[in-house]
Amino acid sequence: MNIWLATAIAVGGCLIVCTDLCLRGSVERRLVGLELTSMLTTILLVLLTVGFHRLPFIDLPLALAIMSLGGCLVFARFLERHL
Amino acid sequence: MHHRLIIASLVIVVVGCWTGTIGVWRMREPTQALHYLSLPATMSAIFLAVVVLLETGWGSTTAKTILICLILIGTNSVGTHATARAIRVRQLGHWKPRKEDGVEFIRKGSKT
Repeated sequence: MNIWLATAIAVGGCLIVCTDLCLRGSVERRLVGLELTSMLTTILLVLLTVGFHRLPFIDLPLALAIMSLGGCLVFARFLERHL
Repeated sequence: MHHRLIIASLVIVVVGCWTGTIGVWRMREPTQALHYLSLPATMSAIFLAVVVLLETGWGSTTAKTILICLILIGTNSVGTHATARAIRVRQLGHWKPRKEDGVEFIRKGSKT
């Protein structure tokens, strides 16, 4: 256990709250929870990459950061018109 | 000194993430909660890039982390705007303001 993994655990605790945000409440609130979850997961993956000394895996949070915008926009469009 | 800087930056990352999460969780209206997304997207992401730079030095990992930081900052603004627009269209049925809208973004019966 190093300081990076301890930080990853602390940031990972936020995902418990994000689970509550995504599972309860209005549809709009759940979408905000989803956006927060993708953001925190990106930060968490960077911390885990450095914490486990697997630096080539930094591509994973990079891909997630790029792809999460598309997911957010698709959900927002569905929320606007169809849901 | 170097180690202390890393620990301090990581603490700021955690504080930014938790403050943003609790802020989103506690806000009653989704449009209010959207404001708190900026904390992990800016403060935590910037300090994460700084701490990776301190830990690994200049290299591809640091460059990609800085790129992640820039993507988070850029996409947060776009995603927040798209979400706020979707919420407004869903509630009012249109995007541009009209006279009959009254006070916008406050639902009937909500406490101010």
